[in-house]
Amino acid sequence: MKKKTLLIVIILLLIAAVFGYNYVYQDHRDISTESAAYTLNAEDLIAEFATDTEIAQSKYLNKTILINGEITAQRNSSVTLNNSIFCSLLEQNPISEKRKISVKGRFIGYDDLLEEIKLDQCTITTN
Amino acid sequence: MKRLLILFTLLTSIGIFAQSKYLTKTGKVTFEASVPSFEEVKATNKNTTAIINTENGEFAALVLVKGFRFKNALMEEHFNENYAESDDYPKATFKGTIANFSMDELSASNIKSYSGSITFHGKTKTLDNESLNIKKQTDGSLLIKGELKLNVADFDIEIPKIVSNKLSSEVNVSYEFVLNKK
Repeated sequence: MKKKTLLIVIILLLIAAVFGYNYVYQDHRDISTESAAYTLNAEDLIAEFATDTEIAQSKYLNKTILINGEITAQRNSSVTLNNSIFCSLLEQNPISEKRKISVKGRFIGYDDLLEEIKLDQCTITTN
Repeated sequence: MKRLLILFTLLTSIGIFAQSKYLTKTGKVTFEASVPSFEEVKATNKNTTAIINTENGEFAALVLVKGFRFKNALMEEHFNENYAESDDYPKATFKGTIANFSMDELSASNIKSYSGSITFHGKTKTLDNESLNIKKQTDGSLLIKGELKLNVADFDIEIPKIVSNKLSSEVNVSYEFVLNKK
């Protein structure tokens, strides 16, 4: 009987340890597989920030958004949509020409030095 | 009239050009508040905007706090929710003026002193006579890097007793910006 209780206690402790470990070392959010909280056109997003930066910022902060827009500038690991949405890409930029694309990423804040909307962990969802 | 207009556009565009600014949108800022033999408390932001005006040595950098990435996801969550409170304070800024700045003497690595301020968690700390390293690179870009030692108490951040032995109250901040001519 005593053996059985000991066994149960050990099993419970193990379960607790596994849960504890998984909580402390949980995975990061995976923006590329998360479904977007908002899907919108680049010009609409820019217009929202032009109307009220503070409101737009708190609405989208830390949210995954999918934006349809046109590439206006690009670098190795980033694309800029419609001149004012800066998207930092998870992987190297595969597109070399300027055209319309969809980008999914996490909004990290409004850059008032350059007046840009900034996203990180972006993936290009259309080719 | 048309000619005048062209001349005017030409002159103003030269004016903009002469206002030499160098900038980056992907500057790197790292902070570390680790304590030896405990899990490292360290995060990096690779999407920092930084601008320098090479006429007078004025610079400004903007760090979006949500952009700090930790190895540990839970630590990142706690940092954002309990310490930086990044929903309420999404931005950190770092600005100042480099003393005796001259573009001509930047070919070699230069240690320069600057004064300015840093704002984080809604609190501003002034910086006097700190130093940074600035260098003009062969591809024409400017490399600025340096370190700062900051105290969490200066930014009105409280560290709960439970974790106070795992978290240093002095934070090392390092930055590295490769700025290109605008």
